[in-house]
Amino acid sequence: MHMRNLFLSHFYFILQFVLLSMFYYHLLKENFQKKIIVVNLVVCLSVLFIQYALDRSRFNNYNLSEIFITSLSLIIYATFHLYNLLNKKKEFYYITIGLLIYLFGSTVFFLTSNLLISLHSKFPTRMIMRLNVYLYIIYQLFILYELVTVYVIKKSIKTL
Amino acid sequence: MNDSQIIEVITYTFLAFLSMALVLILFFYFSRKKIIKQEIEKKNLEINYQKELLNSVIITQEEERKRIAQDLHDDISSKLNIVSLNSHMLKASDLTEVELNEITSNIIDLTAKALENSRRIAHDLLPPVLEKFGLHAGIAELALEFNSSKAVQVNYENHIDFDTVESYKQLHIFRILQELMNNSLRHGKAKEITISFISINNINTCNYSDNGLGFDINDKKNAKGLGMKNMEGRINFIQGTMKTTSEINKGTQVVFNF
Repeated sequence: MHMRNLFLSHFYFILQFVLLSMFYYHLLKENFQKKIIVVNLVVCLSVLFIQYALDRSRFNNYNLSEIFITSLSLIIYATFHLYNLLNKKKEFYYITIGLLIYLFGSTVFFLTSNLLISLHSKFPTRMIMRLNVYLYIIYQLFILYELVTVYVIKKSIKTL
Repeated sequence: MNDSQIIEVITYTFLAFLSMALVLILFFYFSRKKIIKQEIEKKNLEINYQKELLNSVIITQEEERKRIAQDLHDDISSKLNIVSLNSHMLKASDLTEVELNEITSNIIDLTAKALENSRRIAHDLLPPVLEKFGLHAGIAELALEFNSSKAVQVNYENHIDFDTVESYKQLHIFRILQELMNNSLRHGKAKEITISFISINNINTCNYSDNGLGFDINDKKNAKGLGMKNMEGRINFIQGTMKTTSEINKGTQVVFNF
């Protein structure tokens, strides 16, 4: 059965956006930044909802405005966090760095994906798609490293 | 794939790069601002600390002057006054042998006392033994003085040759120890004080400890005392570091190097 699974990408982008927004909402301490996250989350979700309500066909392609606003928002939150971390103890530093690396790469990839798909018959675009997968693995490795350091630190605190 | 889609892709990619660059630039701009602000705060804190030290130095100086003035007035001027009165009485013509004897013995007595007091005041200001025989003898004498008061037992040992230490440092070290011992006795009600000088990796270190009441090291009130400030100032002067540990009912330990 050859069902197009592209519509799943929308769930992926929106779920990633919502979850990471919540993550940074709890991580950031300044009220100004928290407010930006909440307002941005509401605005972005309502814009996307209106967009899909008006034009259902968008579901079958990569939605560029969706990719753009969710990725850019997450990049902004991550830089907020890096800014807060200046001359402080590194807390969720590696997750943020990993996320930034992944987002910088994948955003451009996803933005051009519609183009890649249409070129698929002429060029071996699978290679480029694989690059994104590698990038995602690097991102996961950063998260793993963060978890390990947190776990090791917690353990050493317990043994103290 | 039609043209409008290609244009859309290009537009969004362009926008994405532009906005990412903007985020980066803003990040650097605000980071610089934040770091500079923190640097200024740190410098301000340092300046305030220096100001406080200077203030405490001035206050101590004034107090010292007041004390010297009082000592001179009470112990010497008053005695010299009576001496001068007695000497005037000698001028009187109709004095009996007994009266004459009494007056002269009074004068001799009082001048001796005045002399002794002036010596004591001078000694309090700067023990001559420190000048003449160096820090080791000075501290030994200080310990002896405290021991002779019977209120406290001072154990002093030294493994450093103080001749290699600059003389201006010696005076500061002496003053610090004086202040520490006074504190131990006055505030700590200590029964035993231990002072030892050792050289660790060519760094001269003084370990000082008492078995007194101790104090809460986190209490701001203790750190802001004039005596503490003064000691800090002296430690600063001799380019050393000082570490104080104390707990209530567990005595006080001070380690400083120079």
